[in-house]
Amino acid sequence: MDPVTMEDCFDVSDTEKEDDEEEATAHLRDRFRISTISIAESEAKRNNLEISQSVIVCISDLAFKYAEQLADDLELFAHHANRKIVNMNDVILSAHRNKHLADTLRAFSHDLKAKEPHSEKKRKKSSSSNKEDKGFSSVHHIDP
Amino acid sequence: METNFDQDVIAAIFKFVWSKKAIDREKIEDGEASKGEERAGTSKKNRPTSANPNAVRLSCELLRLFVTEAVQRAATIAEAEGGTKIEATHLERILPQLLWRSSLRCSWML
Repeated sequence: MDPVTMEDCFDVSDTEKEDDEEEATAHLRDRFRISTISIAESEAKRNNLEISQSVIVCISDLAFKYAEQLADDLELFAHHANRKIVNMNDVILSAHRNKHLADTLRAFSHDLKAKEPHSEKKRKKSSSSNKEDKGFSSVHHIDP
Repeated sequence: METNFDQDVIAAIFKFVWSKKAIDREKIEDGEASKGEERAGTSKKNRPTSANPNAVRLSCELLRLFVTEAVQRAATIAEAEGGTKIEATHLERILPQLLWRSSLRCSWML
């Protein structure tokens, strides 16, 4: 066995947990990177350009960090609304500083809603269930 | 359909972050409880956050947009310099602006 330091004596379970955590993160990071590679390469191809692997790795790590921060933000937004489940409005809210991005996401969310036949019927029948959306669009209009 | 992030991966990342935070919350609460405070229904309160499937799909799209925007901006620089390959130096030049504009955490100063 390795020489055991004082800290290890006190926090054996914690350090083990950290190792597991690191392993889990590394695995997620790898799977995440695979997706980034295909997205980045197809995007570069659209410009008839090649893209170096180091650039992709860097963008992937940034996007991963962004995903972790996004998880933090989404949880805060959901909890602030007394919810335990994150919904699409939370995701749109996370992009509120970038108006173009928020608009794109809002359009995408409408597409996703339209693909769900049940929720669509409900929404068309009762205007009250649309409150959340209306709240968003009214804020949007007030904005100069 | 365009290539996008795997929903399972994004859901797993979120779950990883949220369960870690739920454990932290529990620890804090345990500390408070031992001080003699009354706590009812703590297990329910500390259940990790979850996301509905559409929220995960939308998050995948948000991350895809982040990646494509980064590539597009670097591509603009590469083309302006007459190159055929996007290199690290091109990314370096667009990075500050990209992070300031698209990340919530960094753009609060704007």
